[in-house]
Amino acid sequence: MIELRNVYFDIGNIRFENLSLKVKNGEYFILMGPSGAGKTLLLYLITGIVKPHKGKIFIDEIDVTNKSPEERNIIIVPQTFTLFPHLTVYENIAYGLHIRKVPKKEITKRVLSIARILEIEHLLNRMPDTLSEGEKQRVALARALVIEPKAILLDEPTASLDFKTKVKAIQLLKKLHRELKFTAIHVTHDILEALELGDRIAYMEKGRLIKIIEKRKLLSEFPLLHNLLNVIYNKLTS
Amino acid sequence: MKIGERLLMYFFISLGLLVVGFIIMPLIFVYLTTNYLIVLKCLFMNEVLSAFFVTFLAASFSTLILLLLGIPLAYILARKDFKGKNIIESIIDLPLAIPHVIVGIILLITYGSSYSVIGKFLQSIGITIEDSFWGIVFAMTYVSAPLLINTIKEGIKSIDPMMENISRCLGAGPFTTFIKVVLPLTARYIVTGALLSWARAVSEVGSILILAYYPKTVNVLIIEWFHSYSIEYSKALTVLLLSLCLIIFMLLRLGGKRK
Repeated sequence: MIELRNVYFDIGNIRFENLSLKVKNGEYFILMGPSGAGKTLLLYLITGIVKPHKGKIFIDEIDVTNKSPEERNIIIVPQTFTLFPHLTVYENIAYGLHIRKVPKKEITKRVLSIARILEIEHLLNRMPDTLSEGEKQRVALARALVIEPKAILLDEPTASLDFKTKVKAIQLLKKLHRELKFTAIHVTHDILEALELGDRIAYMEKGRLIKIIEKRKLLSEFPLLHNLLNVIYNKLTS
Repeated sequence: MKIGERLLMYFFISLGLLVVGFIIMPLIFVYLTTNYLIVLKCLFMNEVLSAFFVTFLAASFSTLILLLLGIPLAYILARKDFKGKNIIESIIDLPLAIPHVIVGIILLITYGSSYSVIGKFLQSIGITIEDSFWGIVFAMTYVSAPLLINTIKEGIKSIDPMMENISRCLGAGPFTTFIKVVLPLTARYIVTGALLSWARAVSEVGSILILAYYPKTVNVLIIEWFHSYSIEYSKALTVLLLSLCLIIFMLLRLGGKRK
């Protein structure tokens, strides 16, 4: 479980004050809100890229507040996917395993296995600059998932994709989550994406978590899909 | 394209060609007017060979020292914000603004064994800069530092910091990330910085004349021959140095591009 307890963080334009949040193991948690709400910053706090000024962060009930990113085993997939441009797709995926000194045979096995799941086996020898945005996303996901992280944080992973690829990516994420049961925190502006993927959906504004709702509860209340969009928006922004 | 626009373009191109011509003409002239028999003779003179050896070895040493010390500094300047950063950056740029004879004087009074405590300490560990190989290395390092540090700093700045964050999240510590991500991605800038720095070091003469006239570098020898013999002899040395620098420069540049 990922837990933020009374986190305080102030960088002028974004300020978290006593921010608390719990994300359960295996949960797919969606974070929504306008630009500048602090969604990405929240992901950075969880990964350890930035440290809170006050408050605590726990992963599986262990205090990781002062631990560096490499000690947390939480991986972020940024909007731009940020593949290492000097490494092949295979080397990108294997990077985390090499760092962990996993034996070569095991690395090959695991890279091939995740590449098969993500249907990118044919890309393994390619360089990142030759890939389409959709392919880059799959590679970034493979690189993140292959190390079996405690959680995977997705920062608007479908924002740079065209509509068709986006729909495919959402289905892929859904399938991966069902099969691998990883914990995910997913930032998005797209309500349909949120509804399709999330177990819980949170709305954030000016560094505050305004509301968190459970999708299951919501669906039982509003079985008619066409009403759902408006209702959710009202619920979230109320 | 409208006539006015076209005229402006022609005007700019003419001005540009003037600058390009100004730079390239002396190189063409020196190659056209040199007595190549003297050049050939120079190739068999111990004094010349030794001067070339000293110049290139000292320039390589200075570049190596700058690479070892300059890359970490460039990284800090590119990635971290701290109080006094502007001052540090200005200090690094200072050698570009100081006349090189003055560089010779200030290095002498700071690191010279007969002038300061630091110089005496250096002497006690076997480094004397007056009229020594190390004096040449000191002078070259001082004048070429800004070129190497600034080029690499810009290279590091051009890498998305998220690249390093991802590496850290994947389990690599800061040092491993530096070796596996930052260095390979800045390799092109490191090669360019090293080339510029090496070329600047080879061309240094003002501070070397003050600090370490001996062992003679090629530039010192060119000046000496210019005063003692005739322009023909200094031209022959010029052609030799110029050719070697151009060849090395092009080879390294090609190597860098291939990487």
